[in-house]
Parts: sequence; structure tokens; C-alpha cells
Amino acid sequence: MDTEAFPVSTNIIQFPQTWLATATQAGHDRATRHPRPEDVHHPMPTPATSPRLFSRAWSGLLLLILTFLIVYPTGMLLLGALTDANPVVDGFANMRLSLDNFATVLANPTVHAALANSLLACAGGTALAVIIGLFFAWIVVRTDTPFGGFIAAIGMLPLFVPPLVAGVAWAILGSPKTGLLNTVLASMGIGFRFDLYTLSGIIFVFGMYYAPYIYMFTASALRNMDPSLEEAAEISGASAFRTMFTITFPLILPAIVSGMLLSFIVMLGIYGVPATLGAPANIPVLTTYIFQLTSWSPPRYGTAASVAMILMLVTGALVVIQQKVLSGRSYVTVAGKAFRPRTLRLGPWRWFTLALAVIYLFVVVVLPTVALLIAAFRKFLYIRNFDALFDAKQYSWLHFDRLFSNPATVDSIINTMQVGIATALIGGVLAFAVGYTVARTQAPWRRAIDVIATVPVAIPGLVIGVAYLWAWIGLPGGFYGTIWILALAFVARFLPDTVKVLTSSLMQIHRELEEAAWLCGRGTLSTIATITLPLARPGVIAAMTLLFVLSIRELGSSLFLYSSQTMVMAVHLLSYYEGGNFSVTAAFSLVQMVLLAVLIGLTSLATRRATPMDAASGLGRAG
Amino acid sequence: MSAELAIRNLEKSFNTGKPAVDGVSFTIAPGEIVVLLGPSGCGKTTTLRCVAGLEHPTAGEISLDGDLVSAPAKGILTPPRARNIGMVFQSYAVWPHMTVRQNVTYPLRTRGMTRAAMDAAVAEALDLVDLAIYADRPVTQLSGGQMQRVALARSMVYAPRLLLLDEPLSNLDAQLRLRLRDDLRRIIKRTGLTALYVTHDQQEAVVLGDRIGVMQGGKLRQMATPAEIYNRPADQFVAEFTGASSMLPCRLARRDGEFGTVEMADGSTVEAWMPAAPAIGTAMVLAIRPENALLGAAGGSNHFTAKVHALRYQGTQTIYELDALGGRIEALELGTAARHPQGSEVSLTLPPALTWAYAAAV
Repeated sequence: MDTEAFPVSTNIIQFPQTWLATATQAGHDRATRHPRPEDVHHPMPTPATSPRLFSRAWSGLLLLILTFLIVYPTGMLLLGALTDANPVVDGFANMRLSLDNFATVLANPTVHAALANSLLACAGGTALAVIIGLFFAWIVVRTDTPFGGFIAAIGMLPLFVPPLVAGVAWAILGSPKTGLLNTVLASMGIGFRFDLYTLSGIIFVFGMYYAPYIYMFTASALRNMDPSLEEAAEISGASAFRTMFTITFPLILPAIVSGMLLSFIVMLGIYGVPATLGAPANIPVLTTYIFQLTSWSPPRYGTAASVAMILMLVTGALVVIQQKVLSGRSYVTVAGKAFRPRTLRLGPWRWFTLALAVIYLFVVVVLPTVALLIAAFRKFLYIRNFDALFDAKQYSWLHFDRLFSNPATVDSIINTMQVGIATALIGGVLAFAVGYTVARTQAPWRRAIDVIATVPVAIPGLVIGVAYLWAWIGLPGGFYGTIWILALAFVARFLPDTVKVLTSSLMQIHRELEEAAWLCGRGTLSTIATITLPLARPGVIAAMTLLFVLSIRELGSSLFLYSSQTMVMAVHLLSYYEGGNFSVTAAFSLVQMVLLAVLIGLTSLATRRATPMDAASGLGRAG
Repeated sequence: MSAELAIRNLEKSFNTGKPAVDGVSFTIAPGEIVVLLGPSGCGKTTTLRCVAGLEHPTAGEISLDGDLVSAPAKGILTPPRARNIGMVFQSYAVWPHMTVRQNVTYPLRTRGMTRAAMDAAVAEALDLVDLAIYADRPVTQLSGGQMQRVALARSMVYAPRLLLLDEPLSNLDAQLRLRLRDDLRRIIKRTGLTALYVTHDQQEAVVLGDRIGVMQGGKLRQMATPAEIYNRPADQFVAEFTGASSMLPCRLARRDGEFGTVEMADGSTVEAWMPAAPAIGTAMVLAIRPENALLGAAGGSNHFTAKVHALRYQGTQTIYELDALGGRIEALELGTAARHPQGSEVSLTLPPALTWAYAAAV
């Protein structure tokens, strides 16, 4: 796609004037291959650095940063998996590297159980998500079910709920003894009891909350399909049912499989749901088991690194398969005219599909919200019977007062905001630099830059946490335990998503717009500042807010990197939950949700053109 | 197997605007190819989709071989799968997840045929469109023209009662379109299928159709053989759409059966053919195709003097813009040499049978 060597790219805001000058000269310099009238009339002194050297220096700098952020911690994780030494106690000098340590962990039956539980929970969750998501895509895109647009919009909400909050809400609803659902059942005299502290409970919550993922993938595939492909089947004599199974589903199969793999990958890395629902019944999955290992005394950092390695390998394999599926079979059809959406008239059945949709929305949006509200505002969560639910005297701001009277709460909010801002700024600048260099320049080693920046897709947040722990805990200098290690871990973890959002908005800016600026005599940095950045602004804002929102929600990597001074909201929330105080946990969950809602609302106001799809898909990945 | 298609007073309204199809009636005899021709938005594709059962007509009746398949007034609406109709879509709609053979076999699977009978039918259909050697290729590896023939084979393999073709050549490049246009007629005629073909391309319509129906604004303006359409267009729209480029205002002076005399703006009189019978003195429009305005001396009536206002040299032919009869007339002359320079006087003959007059739109 690129035709010109372009050595420099970065966010102009971050660089003082001296940089601008150098870059302008670099831009001028490369014009010797591409003469402009201005150069002929006003020859400028040749700068000391040649453009080749400059672009190499630039690529080298990017590679250095990416190595520091991604390659070094991953390497340390690998070393950690090969040792049973404790980096804090023994230091890096006495690592005693050996494959035996990894082999021992592989043979450990608890690891087997955790791996099996993880795979079972994710497979079950994915299957449920596919059934729900595919059904929703079909009724929204292909039927005349009333309020389709409304259903689609509300149906996306679960993607914005942090898994930990979802877990907390369903623990409040479905704990076997005190769960609200069971209280209601008991007061109605029904003997049945829900128990979500089970593997099926985890599967249920996974499936419910990741169905929108499958929906996103399949709905757009259904929408972009040439309706005459199905009409041809009907003309050929196939029934609507046969058409669906022989034409429609096979055609969107790549989208289904790809969505399945992606949600499987995301579920594999989630800590919040198995921590809330699996821990009480002692159901270990890989993520919770890794954290357990590091919280033992003495911490088993080596074993944790080994298990994290296993988690990363499984995730990596799935990511590779998913890329294959996405790139392999795409059905491009010859399109004559703009597609008219083909809707199936369901007749009276459309009320049935509407009812199913409303039930889903009720279960996934209304129930958990009501549960959090009740738990947060009721003085005592114990509810004797159904009528007691409506006793106004039972409700107060008590738990919010208790929440905010704890100085750690306010600290955690401040820390979270600081980490969020640092992540958004550093991550935004780095992602723009990476995105621009890869998509728009001929800089050397840009393939390598692209690949390294994409690697974190295959690294669950928790694994990044363990990797950063191994990378920094044994080193002097006090980097471990600052908010900066959190921010850099988040930057590394979300780099692929941020680069993707920025690249897609860069792609929308036609190359010729930049070329016109070069011909007007602008250098590279000046062109980026005056043309590219203003045009890409919605994408840049979207990417930065996405980073901010993601870092507020991030739990997995925070678990290993926070200190008493740098406690963040998600960790603080989890500690309330594990302390057994459902009411304050619920109150804090609500605070977090309101904060997220305000942020997301502000962003969508600020960037009308931003891509909600990208933002949503990024959000879902956070565990 | 080939059936007669009869459409009576077909109407189709969408939620907004005027009806897309407005009182269309025609009949296609078994084995006949009828082409619906018209500009985009004229209702031709909607008519076709109503026949297929993909659109539900608002009023009117469609019958195949005497069986009513669409009759909203009687609550009859046979679904597409039960009509036994073949259709070639504009986008071909070949299924990209199947091979050529799987595409063509698909319609036979729901028809309770034996494996051997299916194989034979598929082989015959692929032979017919010359694709036998590509049978086991994935369709995504075929060219546009080949996909188009897969679509054709798939729509004919089950010997439907009627074949529908919706602008099947519009996505192909110009050269291929010319070749396939001739192939298409040959193949359809060989199978003896009744066919309804929709296009906006006049050349395609003339080459392919036994009869052409010209549509505009949801109405069928004329349905006749190609020669009739070109030599006796029923109204001003048909004349203009098929290529009459000169339109001159005039007034009816005298009528004599199908012919009459009109008086032009400059006072001269022209003998012309007129399909309708308006009153003497009615404001009319004289329509002339450039091919029918003859330059040079010729005997008989309708002989005039004209002045060359401008000429457009096109290599093998020249189009002259002439000042004549108080207006401007385009005349086409074949030949690589343009004989009349700009500003010169030429004699112009308008054969009465090919000079048409229509009542002017009010």
C-alpha cells in the first residue's frame, strides 16, 4: 500500500520544536529523490543525518520501546517458568534454570484440574454464547421482530459490564443459601434452588455476557450477505428451513467460528467471574489458580509463571487458528445493486421472538442491576420474605457511607484515575506511532514492529501481570509497586486494540491528502500535525478513551502489580467481595458502573464518528 | 414442461410513493422469450420478482399454465419454492461455499430424484452451458462469465415451467456481454423454455427477445416484436427510449387512417404515421430516428431542404445536426467520409412510414 519511504511518525503534541525542525529537514532530505520546485529555488543546507539513518533510528527506537514493554517481560515469564527460585529472595543470580520445573508443573494434578475446568467453562460458555448470539443476530437482522434496533442496542450492554461486577451481581442473585433468586423462590413456596457457585454457574454467566460478541460477528455477516443467494435457494425449491441450514449458516460459518474462537480466548483470560462464582465452591480455573499460587506464603512465583505459560500457549494457539479462519474463507460475491435487507415475516411468531429477546435482556441487564441496587441500598441483605423487599425503611445510603469512609476507597479511585490517564496518554502516543509507521511508511523492520505490537492479543491480562511481576520484582529501583508499572502493563496489554482502532481511522484518510501536503512543501511531522492528526482526531480520541476505560476495568494484570500504595478500584472491589461484604461490594460496583457509563457517554458525545464496534470489541477483551 | 405465463392487471405498491408496477397485463406463449425493457425504476424487475414469488403483488393475478400462483384478491400466494420456476439473478447468486456441481445439483435434491437421474440431469445442464470440465471447481475460482453460466445451468437443470432472467449480463464486461447475449438466446431456445428477461439494454432486448415489452413508470407502454417496436413505436416514450432523437413540435392538419399531415413551426407540412387518432388542430410532436432521416435527393413526398448546423464525425458514420422544419433534426449517414460540410445546404427526405407523430403531452 505504501509507495514512499517515510521515516518519521509520531504524535506531534509530545515533541518540542527542535524535533519538528529535525523532522522537517528529514522530510526535505528525502525530497532529493522526489524533487519539488521549492527545493530547486531555495536549496537548504544538507542535514547531518541521512533519511535512511533517521528512519532506522526511528524504527530502532520503536523496537526498543516494544522490547521493553512486551518482549522483555515475556522472556522473563519464560525464565520464571523454568525455575523454582523466588526472584525476591534468591535474586536472578540463583535461577537454576531447568525444564524439570516446567515438567513438574505439567504433571501436577491440580494444574490438570484447573486446565480442564478452564476449558470446560470456556467451551460451555462459548456454546451458550453462540446459541444466544446467533439467535439474536437472526431475529434482529432477518426477521420483522418488533423493536429490533432497541433489542440490538440494549443487547450490547453486557459487553460494557466488567466481568468482576457481573460475577458479583450473580453471586448476590444466585448464591445457594442467600441468593436473592432463592429468597424469592422460597417465599413463593417453590422447592427449587439456584446454585451459581458451580461450573455451570460460570458457564451461564460467560454465555450470557459474551453472546453479544457472537452477535456482532454474525449480525454483520448476515447483513452483508447478498439476499439473492437465499432467494436462489428458495426458487430452487428449498424451504426456508432448508435454506437456512444449507445456504445461510454455511455462508456465515467463518464469522461464527471466528466469533466462537474469540469469545473462547476472552473467557480463558477472565479472572473476575471464576473468582466470584468459582472460589466459594473451590472450583479452580487457570486464572484463579495462578493468582492463588502467588498469594501463598512463600509465594510460588515459578509455578505461577509455568501455569501462566500454559494459559498463554493455549490462548496463542487459538489466536493463530482464529487468524487462519478469518483470512482463509471469505466469500466475496458479485454484487449487482445495493442489498435490500431481506426480512422474514414471522406473523404472530414475532411476538414470541420478541418475548425471548426481552427475557434475555431481563436476565442479563435488569436482574443484575436490580440485585446490585438492592444489595447496595438495603441495610441488611438478609431478606426474610418477598414482601420485605418493598419495605422502604430497609433502604439507606449506609453502605455508600461505609465505602467512602474507608480512605483506601478514595485512594483506589484516585490511583485508578492516575493509572488510566497515564495509560491513555502513553498508550495513545505509542499506538499512533506504531500504527502510522506500520500502515503509512516504508520504515525498516516495520513487519517486526507490527508483529510484536500484536503479540499481546495472545497474552491474557493475568499472564501480563505475572510477566511484569517476574520482569521487575527482583530488580532494584522501586519500579515494581509504582503506578507506572500498572500503566505500562496496561499499555502493553491493550496495544493491539489501540493500534487497531487508530489504524482503521488512519486507513480512512486517503494517502493523497498527505501527499498533497508534502507537495505543498510540508515535512513529515508537519504533515502529520496539520493533516493526519486533525483528520484522525475522532479515532485518536476513541482510542485514548478506550484505553482509559479498559484500564479502569482491568483486574487480571493489576492483581500482581499493585502495592498497598497503588491499590486500584478493581482490586479493591475484589478485596471487599472476598471480605464477604456483599453490600459494600455492590455499592462499589455501582460506583464503578456509573463512572464507566459517564465516561463512555462522554466519549460517544465527543466522537460521533468513532467506531462503537471497535470500542465494544476492545471492551470485551478486558478481564 | 414449458408453460404459458399470464399476467393480468398486476399492481405492486411499496410503502412509499407511487406504485412500482401499475396495471401491467401480458401473456407469454409456451417457448417464447419476452424481454421487459425500460430505464431503471420502471418496474420491470419488480414485475419479474412478483412472477418469481419473491415479491407479493398488491393486486392482479399471475398464472402459470392456468394455475393461479399470485392472486392477492383470492388470497392465493404460492411460495417461490412451489412454483417450479428457474431464475438467473443479476448477481448470479451462485453459492460460494459449493462447487459448480454442488450448485447445479442443489435444486434437484428436494425433487426426490435418484442419484443417477440427478447426475445425468446435471451433466446435461453443464454440457448445455459448456461448463462440464469445470464441474468440480469451487465456483469462487470461476470468471464472471462462467459464474453466470453456472447460474443459468442451475436455473434450467430441473426443467422449470418458466425461466426468469434479471439483467443477467449487466455485471459482465462489454465484449463478453456481446458473446453471451447470442449464446443465451441459443441455449434458451434449445431447451424450449418459456422465458421472461429483464434488461435496460436495447441491443440485448432486440437480440434476445421474441417480443419486447417497454415499461415506464410502472406501466407497460408497448409489447410487440422488436421490428414493430423499432418501426411502429406506440408512443413518444417508446420512440424516444429506443432512439428517436429528434422531437419537433407540430400541429395536426389532416388525417387519413393511420397517416396524417402535420404543420410544422415554419409552415411546411409533413406526412407522418400516427398510432392514435387525435382531433384536427391538436398540438403534436414529430419524432424521427437519425437513421430514418435520409440525406440527398429522393423522390416522393416529405422532401425538404435543410442546412447543416453542426456535424459529429464518428469514424464509420457521421451525425448531422440539421436546421429544418423550424427545428433541429439529427440525421445519420454511414460511411467513413463526411460528405456535407458545416453550413452547406442538403436535401432531406423523411419516409412517411418512419416519421411518427404523437399527441404532445399536456
